[in-house]
Amino acid sequence: MATNIQAAVNESTTEQRGKTEAPQHVDFLGGNEAAAAAARDIGFHLMGYFPITPSTEVAENLAKMQADGEHEIVMVPGDGEHGAAGICYGAAIGGGRVLNATSSQGLLYALEQLPVQAGTRMPMVLNIATRAVSGPLDIRCDHSDIYFALNTGWIILLARDPQAVYDLNFAAVKIGEHPDVRLPVLVAYDGFFTSHQKRRLECFDDPPSVRRDFLGEPHAPYTALDPRHPVTFGPYMNDPDLINNKKQLSLAMEAARSVIPQVLEDLYAITGRRYPVMDAYGMEDAEVAVVLLNSAAETAKEVADHLRENGRKAGVLSPNVLRPFPAEAFRGALAQVRAVVIGDRADSYGADGGNLSLEVRAALQQDAHNRTLVLSRIYGLGGRDFDDTDAEQFFAQALDAAAAGEVALPFAYHGVYDGEPQKNPPSGLPAIETAEVSRGMARVREDPDTGRLEVELEPMWATTAMPGRIAPGHGACPGCGVFPVLHQVYSVLEGDLVVLFQTGCAMVVTTGYPNTAHRITYIHNLFQNGAATLAGLVEMYHELLRRGELPNSPDITFMMVTGDGGMDIGIGPALGAAHRNHNMIILEYDNQGYMNTGAQLSYATPLGHRTSTSEVGCTRSGKAFHHKDTAQIFASCHLPYVFTASEGYPEDLMRKAAKSQWYAKREGLVYGKVLSFCPLNWRTTDDAAQTVLQTAVDSCFFPLYEVEKGRTVISYDPDLLGRRQKVGDWLRLMGKTSHLLSPGNAPHLEAVEAEVDRRWRRLKAMHEHPEL
Amino acid sequence: MNRQAKIPDPSRFFEIRFESIGGLGAHAAGQILARTAVLHMSLNGAHFSSYGSEKKGSVVRSYVRLSSADKPIRSSAPIDIPDVIVVFHAALLEQRITLAGLQPSGTLICNLPAGEIPDSLSRVPAGTRIVRIDALQIAVEERSRPNAVLLGALTAVLPFLDTDAVLTGLTEGFSHHDPQAVAANERAFSRGGKEFELLDQTGLGAEGLPVMRPTPVWGYQTAPLGGVLPLPGNTVWNDLTASRTGWLPVFNTEQCIHCGLCVLVCPDFCLAWSNESAGDVPALECPDFSLSWSAEGPGEEAPSARLLGIDYRYCKGCLRCVETCPTEAMRREAETPGLAERLQVPLFPEITNRVGGAGGN
Repeated sequence: MATNIQAAVNESTTEQRGKTEAPQHVDFLGGNEAAAAAARDIGFHLMGYFPITPSTEVAENLAKMQADGEHEIVMVPGDGEHGAAGICYGAAIGGGRVLNATSSQGLLYALEQLPVQAGTRMPMVLNIATRAVSGPLDIRCDHSDIYFALNTGWIILLARDPQAVYDLNFAAVKIGEHPDVRLPVLVAYDGFFTSHQKRRLECFDDPPSVRRDFLGEPHAPYTALDPRHPVTFGPYMNDPDLINNKKQLSLAMEAARSVIPQVLEDLYAITGRRYPVMDAYGMEDAEVAVVLLNSAAETAKEVADHLRENGRKAGVLSPNVLRPFPAEAFRGALAQVRAVVIGDRADSYGADGGNLSLEVRAALQQDAHNRTLVLSRIYGLGGRDFDDTDAEQFFAQALDAAAAGEVALPFAYHGVYDGEPQKNPPSGLPAIETAEVSRGMARVREDPDTGRLEVELEPMWATTAMPGRIAPGHGACPGCGVFPVLHQVYSVLEGDLVVLFQTGCAMVVTTGYPNTAHRITYIHNLFQNGAATLAGLVEMYHELLRRGELPNSPDITFMMVTGDGGMDIGIGPALGAAHRNHNMIILEYDNQGYMNTGAQLSYATPLGHRTSTSEVGCTRSGKAFHHKDTAQIFASCHLPYVFTASEGYPEDLMRKAAKSQWYAKREGLVYGKVLSFCPLNWRTTDDAAQTVLQTAVDSCFFPLYEVEKGRTVISYDPDLLGRRQKVGDWLRLMGKTSHLLSPGNAPHLEAVEAEVDRRWRRLKAMHEHPEL
Repeated sequence: MNRQAKIPDPSRFFEIRFESIGGLGAHAAGQILARTAVLHMSLNGAHFSSYGSEKKGSVVRSYVRLSSADKPIRSSAPIDIPDVIVVFHAALLEQRITLAGLQPSGTLICNLPAGEIPDSLSRVPAGTRIVRIDALQIAVEERSRPNAVLLGALTAVLPFLDTDAVLTGLTEGFSHHDPQAVAANERAFSRGGKEFELLDQTGLGAEGLPVMRPTPVWGYQTAPLGGVLPLPGNTVWNDLTASRTGWLPVFNTEQCIHCGLCVLVCPDFCLAWSNESAGDVPALECPDFSLSWSAEGPGEEAPSARLLGIDYRYCKGCLRCVETCPTEAMRREAETPGLAERLQVPLFPEITNRVGGAGGN
């Protein structure tokens, strides 16, 4: 039997494995892979999810396993995390086992649903690869996301390494479903440090027997799928009833205090790995201690060992359960400790400590005899490493306090940098003067007969005189299509421009702090809300102008850029902005997936295309449903101007960009959807753009057209020009779709062809009939 | 297959750091090595990489921490003082952080062509074992990837690693998604283990290289509030040279009609135009752009608009300009040492044209 690493980490190394232990094998997995392996082995019924770094790999791994026939979990890709949480909630009401995984903004976007799930007592498991919350946007680890979940009524388990992620997912199911508990359970592990770091671990050889013997069958006291026993879920409940409902929830948490140790003991029996509610390392005689959550605690244990070798009685406390909060265990462990440093990987701003620190202090306050000196420290925000030297400093501060008998600095940020007065990032370029970008590259004129706009473009070479609104030196992938799209659009937009980019490739690669490629004013907001944000700015602009409070009354065009993956999460606020008809352009770059985060499916991904969450294997052939038609969605908002374009046809895009500016300044909101090349994830060479993009258009997969004041006009008809190609000719050009040409996938190819043809015929009908 | 490997000093970790560019396979190499150590060599191991979004061409560090089976691995921190550094791209040697923490007792393995030894290697501590292998050339010849060659060299210079096991791990790793590559990778791995060269007397440093941690430029007392950047376009100080993977576009002014199409498709805004007068050039129909599109030059109309060349500081070698050029004025060429420097036409002459140039970070 292989050495058991987790047993060595905990303090039970000498105990023999029990007779009831299930057979296991060694594997080498990261935390996300461990969560996926556990999901496979638990055999959840359904996963509702939406990809977000760094938890995305959970769904990716499950998608791959699903394609290879390794599990039968129904995978439902949400329209966003809020939708994913709703999918999970609905599935849980059905009575089966439900799984989700998210991080950071994903958790916050879903947050509203968490108390609903807990308050109506629907168990499920939510894995969180912890990550800093925006803004500014940071994709790396801290605990600011899970701290928002502390008050939601969910049980929170903490997994310090991939083995714990695997094991505690099993525990989470059993704890949550316990009849005395009936609560959803969150399993939190550190983003990147644990989610992406591969470690040795053990997995069950025979998951069905573990399901049978350890988990048992799920039993929901009420389900929505039993018509003979009708139930009303979620009644309207005001005073005096709600407080009683919450008392029930509180009692469930109290019940969990005894259920959790039982389940963890049962888990120990089948795994040989102990997960005490409080992981107390070297605490029996400790004079000083640090309190840390998850991976940082493991680093501190190494330092505690060194201190003990030098005669210092140092210990590390790190709970494996954060809700219910193990206050009694903290009181017991710290009773004789002279000084403790409590490290929080997130601040509760203005409270002189993060939530962990505040709760440990509150726990100690209830012990009238406790004399422990407490130092609260904020560390490791946004993924800042916590290594040996950091742990050494924490212990040193505790030792100093213990020696002095008092705390010099009760609360501080650890590992911050104050800066040097003369040190600055490299200087920027001069602001672009209005005259420099007012060169008349496109002359727009309204045709009095048709009411449509005519555009006369300067020759292409002339546009090289336009100063670039994006500077070189950005970090996009070689061959990236987003920047030709932006360049072509910027080349004809006249005068001053303010842009807002939603989260995505173009945002990440242009604004890596302290550098920005943007030479004009640029705003980022999360992709739930870009259109609303820009709408607010547009209205403020007009109001300041009206009041005469904007110096020099600049004439500004406003444009929002959404992508990668098209327009998914933020479509609600974007439709709101469209219906209000603000003076702004929304430009969607559609590269057919969430490419910045590793090519997960977006709703813009066409049927059958391979992504990391729509894999190809013996049971799956890529994405299972057709692509979203945002141009038609926004056309039905009856906007002044809607268009599609492709960077493969620059002149067409530039004409439409010029018209967009005309309409946005005079009539209201413009929506443009632009097909944009992504060689990395379309799996082509970096220089294949023109062929692939033009074939997408010539096969009528991506028709170029505009809807101008309600009138649909096809800009480019491959049939008329004798350039029509088969959809297969386009799919053949990309590694992500080449599988669709195999004989076995003929039904999928036919489905794509039929849908492309149907949408094209429909578009042609609209083109031919002015009233359509 | 499960052989008991022995870490040179079982009381400590054996740590390897791969320094690379996204797309060269350093992440995969680290993963294969650590996975093999755990599953086939009865060692304990951890592997992780430092990278943010999933894009090609950015710096990637991949870390492998190995220990004996009974020594737990707790730390998830990056490796500051590695026993071995493997450098996947010669351009990275110019950056001091690439070799940070290298000790006289350590080993440095570089993907470098034969011939002149880069000056940057002289700062390696005297006594450090320096291994040179032309992984790119071998990878091209064997239709493999540099990481297979470098793993071969690494395994050869670290006797405690089981060559058969690592090779099995390599083919396992690739056969998962590309069975055809297995044979090519085996040949590349095997050549990596034989064709490396020890560069004695190259390192002249008096002591181990210091650990480097990136220090922020601004701190909480100096950064503008709220994370704003009042520095428009200061990415011009970045140097993207290392994003190229062997190819670059070469501009031939004789064949150029200055139509501007390349500018419209270049993702990296690295094409330099001038205001100087050049001769008349003919218009040319370009059938690939079938709207009202035609590729035509400025001719007499504006003799000032002329494409001068390429600023290779920003060119990532995607070759979209080559694909698009209607007159073959842009040509794809293999990037030989010094070629980009010779052909360089700077967009911002005030910026030093070297990797990590002044003001860069």
